[in-house]
Amino acid sequence: MDITETTEGGKTVAILDGRLDTATAAVIETKLLALLEKGGVIADLAEVRYVSSAGLRVLLKAAKQAKATGASFAVVGLQPPVREVFEISGFDKIIPAYNTRAEAAAA
Amino acid sequence: MVTPSFHLRLPASLESVSELLDALEAYVETAGIPPGTAARLALIAEEIAANVAMHAKGATFFELRIIPGEHVLRLSIEDDGPEYDPLARATPDTEAALEDRDVGGLGVHLVRQLTQEARYQREGGLNRLLCSLALAA
Repeated sequence: MDITETTEGGKTVAILDGRLDTATAAVIETKLLALLEKGGVIADLAEVRYVSSAGLRVLLKAAKQAKATGASFAVVGLQPPVREVFEISGFDKIIPAYNTRAEAAAA
Repeated sequence: MVTPSFHLRLPASLESVSELLDALEAYVETAGIPPGTAARLALIAEEIAANVAMHAKGATFFELRIIPGEHVLRLSIEDDGPEYDPLARATPDTEAALEDRDVGGLGVHLVRQLTQEARYQREGGLNRLLCSLALAA
């Protein structure tokens, strides 16, 4: 799993590449929560083909922290298998998802 | 082409979960498993294997077998941990608001939703989860 950072409309974009699973959850959690300390974060999952419940746990934690501190947290670029997992878990109702970074930044 | 079967037995540790996923990635490519099915297969394998690695005290291994059938993959996942029926877990409330959401039980919920005919057996000191996965994009 690689994480690279960029910005879009004043928000930090964390580009995740690889599997968001049991093995990678801890490092991604640390990274996302640190980025959220500084402001709104958009997690770009376009290169993530796989999210397990361990990955969902990280995204839920990030969304909860964002809500607590008033920062924004959104995901973009959900691939079909990831979207399926989001929907089955009800995460599509609690974490804002957009098609593009620009849409997420403007929201 | 006949879809090949798959069999892997690994130590019950978190390192094994990654090894299992890597092995499955190679398998689905060789076997020509459609991407949607491949993603569901990996998810089911990880949820069960991670559960065993993290929670099954004294378990030494888990073992995944995949037997391809017509339009379906049959899965058998075994471990030698204490008796535990993952299917008996309560369904999480997937309608709850963000503040009230808890991810406990979410892995098993995913397994239940993505498979057909999931059933649990305890036999000869082993936990066995059997389920079927539709071969579809």
